[in-house]
Amino acid sequence: MWDIIIQIAGIIVQIFPYAIAYTIPLLITALGGLFSERSGVVNIGLEGLMVIGGFAGALTISTFQRSMPGTAIWLGLFAAFVAGALFALLHAFACVTLNANQVISGIAINMVAGALTTFLARNMTGSGNVRIRGMLRQDVPVLSEIPILGKTLFTQTYASTWVVLAILLLSAFLLYKTKFGLRLRACGEHPHAADAAGVNVYLIRYLAVMLSGAFAGLGGAIFLATVSGEFSGSAGGIGFLALAALIFGQWKPIGILGAAFFFGFATTIANVSQVIPLFSNIPSILLKTFPFVVTLVALVLFSKSSQAPRAAGEPYDKGKR
Amino acid sequence: MKKLFLGILVVSMLAATLLGCTPKPAPVVKYKVGMVTDAGTIDDKSFNQGTWEGIQKAATDMDLDIKYLKPAGTTEAHYITEIDNLVAAGYKFIVTPGFKFETTIFAAQTKHKDSKFVLIDGSPHAGDWTSVVGNNTVSIFFAEHESGFLAGVAAAQQIKTGEFGFIGGMEIPPVQKFNWGFQQGIAYANKNFGTSITMKEENVIYEGSFERIEAGQQLAATMYDNGVKAIFAAAGGVGIGVIQEAVARAEAGKEAWVIGVDVDQYAAGIYGTKQDKSVILTSAMKYIDQAAYDMIKAEKAGTFPGGKTLTFDAKNNGIGIPKTNPNLSAEIQASVATVFAKLKDGSLVVAAVQGDLIK
Repeated sequence: MWDIIIQIAGIIVQIFPYAIAYTIPLLITALGGLFSERSGVVNIGLEGLMVIGGFAGALTISTFQRSMPGTAIWLGLFAAFVAGALFALLHAFACVTLNANQVISGIAINMVAGALTTFLARNMTGSGNVRIRGMLRQDVPVLSEIPILGKTLFTQTYASTWVVLAILLLSAFLLYKTKFGLRLRACGEHPHAADAAGVNVYLIRYLAVMLSGAFAGLGGAIFLATVSGEFSGSAGGIGFLALAALIFGQWKPIGILGAAFFFGFATTIANVSQVIPLFSNIPSILLKTFPFVVTLVALVLFSKSSQAPRAAGEPYDKGKR
Repeated sequence: MKKLFLGILVVSMLAATLLGCTPKPAPVVKYKVGMVTDAGTIDDKSFNQGTWEGIQKAATDMDLDIKYLKPAGTTEAHYITEIDNLVAAGYKFIVTPGFKFETTIFAAQTKHKDSKFVLIDGSPHAGDWTSVVGNNTVSIFFAEHESGFLAGVAAAQQIKTGEFGFIGGMEIPPVQKFNWGFQQGIAYANKNFGTSITMKEENVIYEGSFERIEAGQQLAATMYDNGVKAIFAAAGGVGIGVIQEAVARAEAGKEAWVIGVDVDQYAAGIYGTKQDKSVILTSAMKYIDQAAYDMIKAEKAGTFPGGKTLTFDAKNNGIGIPKTNPNLSAEIQASVATVFAKLKDGSLVVAAVQGDLIK
């Protein structure tokens, strides 16, 4: 029994960096979804926005990686951030200005993103798949020397991981400790009350949707730079998983962190289970479906106390009582 | 009066245009060749791209009108829709790369009797594995086991000692044959060239898809962590993840090799500050492009081998490893060439079945 526990611990330490690599794009994208939904706009176009980010990132990185190898990645991430925000404007325009159905607009974003970027990539680079040199994994100096904990948390990390964790902290602060955060949350709960108090609901929602696009774009580019190494017109379903993480995490930054981590870890274990003798006897279909089964169970259990933003999904109509 | 004048003017002008027009030669109707892609994109640097490059080469040489369509999904319904679309647009010669087209082509060959189909890597059947190759269809198989064998012999001689791994896509015959051939190749090298390469059972796996890049990356990372030196990735998009992981390790100065599949994947594994090195040790190739090209050529010459099942193997140069790869020394290339010659004259036979091999 004891040696099995030690074996499992060893495996966890070993696969931890890879689980994190998969978790981070998921986390930042879910965080984007959080901003949008907390302001009252459902954004199921996250997957498409990730694709846009991945495309902008791939294009930028492949252009600059020869002339300035180190900074090209960061330029790419920045380009993805901007491109995601701009593309999300479409969603904001449809949902906020035109009062369109938010789900349909999101689906449209998902459908157009893959096709548009593949078309552009083929025309601009000659191939629908754009290959880049990915980000390097590094050990954090000093901290990685700590026994066990150091090896788990601080070896083989990507710089982007720390950036995303910083963004998460900053977002939590922005949401709960600033005026802007309070207004944003008010718009998602009771936009009429917010409006009566002098808040420009349209502006806040525009900003929130753009922020969600920017974060999803960043997520797409991080996925590109750390995991896939190649843009191919898809984000591997992470955008949809991010939506699940958002709901599972009850629309809270800390909850999302937990949910994204759970999904990332469970998916990684399912992926690598075949190579690990200890797990190879468990049918991989069970491991692969495990996170989704848990999500369903959790949704059933929490449905009574679910804290979805009350006005999410409803277009804001000033004249409505 | 004015109106009458105008009328006469218009009529005379019309007559002038009609008469002045010398009958142009009817526009040359180019022969139309279509393709439906399998899972993944047209630029997958693997199966789809290989087929398409063969068709493109044929188009330049024989002046064809070519088009490919990408199905929205990977079920028979998706595939048949695109075949119908191609036929409706006049593309009566259709190439479909992939084992997964078997049942689709079975339906299509009777539905579109006046069209011709080339099915690569499979044989049409109704879902019961009894193959029925229609008179308008050619079914093409490759000797993947021979290709994997050669790659195994080459890789084993280059690395000499250590562990190898295999990551396959779906557990289907073409992928399995690559695996079995690869293991036999390593055993052959161990026996005849004094290498000592081992493969552990847990390091021979099928991921279950051809698309999940991240799974490929994570699997490869775990295998390399567990001491594997080179991974043979016969897995489409999953293989891209494997290559990506190997590149990340090589950039960090660690040893990690990949053996590519289907086409020469050398360019996909390039790394280094000068972009002058590659993690691709060699590639187990199937000359898919050649097969597509040959079929189109045969059709143009009126010798389309409809109803037949063709096999591309060492005997007709249908498989092999790339002639040049800086990662393999000249001696190894020469030694592989001798092995290839033995496969060709039949003095060496690679089994296309599992036997007592792993998975």
